[in-house]
Amino acid sequence: MFGWLKSFASPSSLRAAGVLGMNRRNFNVISKYNNRRLYPLVDDKVQTKKLANKIGINTPGLIGVIEVQNQVQNLLDLVRGYDEFVVKPAHGSGGKGVLVIKSFNEEKFITASGKTLTFNEVYQHISNILSGLYSLGGKYDIALIEELVHFSGMFSEYSYQGVPDVRVIVYKGYPAMAMMRLSTKASGGRANLHQGAVGVGLDITNGKSLEAVMYNKPIKFHPDTQADLSTLNIPFWREHLIIAAKGYEMTGLGYLGADIVLDESRGPMMLELNARPGLAIQIANGKGLALPLKKIDKYYPSGLSPEERVDYVLTHGGSR
Amino acid sequence: MLKKFVTVRFVLSICLFFSVLFAGYSIYYKIKYWGFNFAPKQTTDVWTIEAHISFEPTGDPIKISMATPTVSDEYKILDEDAVAPGYKINKDRKNNRVVLSSSPKEGTQNIYYRILVFDNEYGKGKIRSPIRPEVEKPIFDEQRLTVAQELLKLSDRQEGDDVQRIIRLLNQTPPDPTVLAFMPMKKSQKEITEAVSSLLALKNIPTRTARGIKLEENKKSFTPDLMLEAYMNGRWILYNIQTGKKGLPENFVIFQRGGVSLLDVEGGSDSVIKFTVLKSISSSLSLAGPRAKLAEMKNWYDNSIYSLPLMEQNTLKWLMIFPLAILIIVLMRNVVGVVTMGTFTPMLISMSLIKTGFLPGLVCFGIIITLGLALRAVLSKLNLLLVPRISAVVIFVILIMQGLMIMGYRMKFDVASSAAFFPIIIMAWIIERASITWEEDGPVNATREIIFTVLVAIITYFVISSEYIRHIMFAFNELNLVILFIVMLLGTYTGYRLTELRRFAPLVQKKGK
Repeated sequence: MFGWLKSFASPSSLRAAGVLGMNRRNFNVISKYNNRRLYPLVDDKVQTKKLANKIGINTPGLIGVIEVQNQVQNLLDLVRGYDEFVVKPAHGSGGKGVLVIKSFNEEKFITASGKTLTFNEVYQHISNILSGLYSLGGKYDIALIEELVHFSGMFSEYSYQGVPDVRVIVYKGYPAMAMMRLSTKASGGRANLHQGAVGVGLDITNGKSLEAVMYNKPIKFHPDTQADLSTLNIPFWREHLIIAAKGYEMTGLGYLGADIVLDESRGPMMLELNARPGLAIQIANGKGLALPLKKIDKYYPSGLSPEERVDYVLTHGGSR
Repeated sequence: MLKKFVTVRFVLSICLFFSVLFAGYSIYYKIKYWGFNFAPKQTTDVWTIEAHISFEPTGDPIKISMATPTVSDEYKILDEDAVAPGYKINKDRKNNRVVLSSSPKEGTQNIYYRILVFDNEYGKGKIRSPIRPEVEKPIFDEQRLTVAQELLKLSDRQEGDDVQRIIRLLNQTPPDPTVLAFMPMKKSQKEITEAVSSLLALKNIPTRTARGIKLEENKKSFTPDLMLEAYMNGRWILYNIQTGKKGLPENFVIFQRGGVSLLDVEGGSDSVIKFTVLKSISSSLSLAGPRAKLAEMKNWYDNSIYSLPLMEQNTLKWLMIFPLAILIIVLMRNVVGVVTMGTFTPMLISMSLIKTGFLPGLVCFGIIITLGLALRAVLSKLNLLLVPRISAVVIFVILIMQGLMIMGYRMKFDVASSAAFFPIIIMAWIIERASITWEEDGPVNATREIIFTVLVAIITYFVISSEYIRHIMFAFNELNLVILFIVMLLGTYTGYRLTELRRFAPLVQKKGK
């Protein structure tokens, strides 16, 4: 009769496992280390891109920006010369409003999932972005037209349609926890865990897979490609972490999530930063976030450069 | 960092503590001085006492002086007025008398004096009086004195205190022979009172008479009852002249005390005073003002919401329930961890449910949302811009409501007529958000969000629809201050949310294996 109770954990056992809860994250971490004044830097993808390029972080190339409705009809002029492009709202979150066009001509646009859209429908999508449909708080927004990322071929068997990216939680400039997010059929090609994407916890010291979850349940193989998730190993791991760690200098946010994608030719690139990264990463890693945060608070030195911090994590991160 | 965190919580806890203290005192104050109750619809009996004075004028100027109930302790006077055409009315507050005067008149005069009283909470029938009055020794001849002393001796066999023993002895049936020697067999109340006082005077106990009336429903044309007050241990104590029962009887109003008369009529003869009593019921809340005035605790009252006109009070009564609903929302979101559509949407829905009634409201809500979503699905194919699209949804909602009301009327289906009580814009946004969630996160997530929203609305509904809770939040509105600090303290709550216990359970269970 009380069997359903078993699916609940006791607060004390969660505390013992170092699980960071939403309230604690908001009160003890975000409100303390993330000054609200800094949010626009990461909430606006155009700003983030500018900041990142300024300190030498790779980002997907910007084709153009559409700021007002009557610019929308110039879309074809903007993307002339490109074979493919991505439309994104500058203030979007959680992959909402992202449109990936794999190929197009004057009339037809083929999306990543193989759907064919007319120019009118793409036009509509962009004008929805401008009118604030996908932005936080429904404010007027601008649309970014970006070059498409060609993610490293070694990941192709791990992902269904979407771009697999690495999410790194950076606390006080130190990478604290990482996971790779793989889109699935269930997630509709998106990389959000709550939509059904696979989360693979990564060892912060070497970028190797720890364990994988989908819908909060542990899995061994990708549900669509059947790839063995336990063999996942991220190349250029140090470079990934350095990009993430630099997010701290870039924005001043004490607690941030960096989304990094590995491009076939250009290497790791910063996709976006998040001032309020979610807590699902704990489930993908099979361990709580409170422990590494506490460790960083207590033992990690301050005043190091991003590279020094990453090296510190790579050598000391795993040990207790 | 930790220090700062502790301080915020500490300061808020102190604030909460003081707000609880304040609320506690304020509640006590309102109950004591304003007569507020925790239960809603608590009523107080209001008695209308009508004195009918009639007399034949003699042709001289008329002056009538009548004793009125003592304001101080036993009863509180809500209102008084006199129906006496052609008479000048003066009130003598010091002596508790009302004086009516007029030039000579002809024919039988009928004067009505009406007084509305309520509440005899403090009337214990004991009045402090530090100055001991003089005892007027009765003048007895020798034979009568002997009988009287014999009676006093006899009275020692009776039970009770001195006064009660004498009263009981004189009222004994069949009467003792000695009593018969002292006074006639058939004796009036007045005669007993006089006999008792003179006997008590022999024992050096001061006494006085008191006249009053017992408040009973629809009592008509009666004369006031007599009672005896004896001065014992520094206070006047009332005694029933027939039974010797001590203290003020329940629902008894004293009109006059001591030697002064109940009614004096100058310029008239054959004066008769008859009383009529009527009981009416009034809500305790509406009597708060007069009570506060009488208790001389009016400063707070004048600055409270209860001194406002009734219409404003009703508006406020509605508003006073909001903080509690907000507290529920905060609890559901930050402690339970439920995701709803819009922060305060559930609260607004529950407010509508109160107006529509629970089931009719839910049915209507379901119909509006379902139809709205269906129409919105058609709309999303048209690829309209955001503002025109949401505007179209608003108009959809209005049209659905209109349709429901017409159908409800035609088909004699009452339920549908409540449709108009739902906030149109909120409904439109629920539909818009649900349809976007539907497209982006799938129907499961959209339905779940709607269900959780309605669930929270239902919980809120059951709390705020309670007549009890509504009354308490209005009558003791200082509780809102307590809620404010609870909400602020919840802002520092860093524990796990209930839903997180489930969400993060895999992290712990794996460790166990």
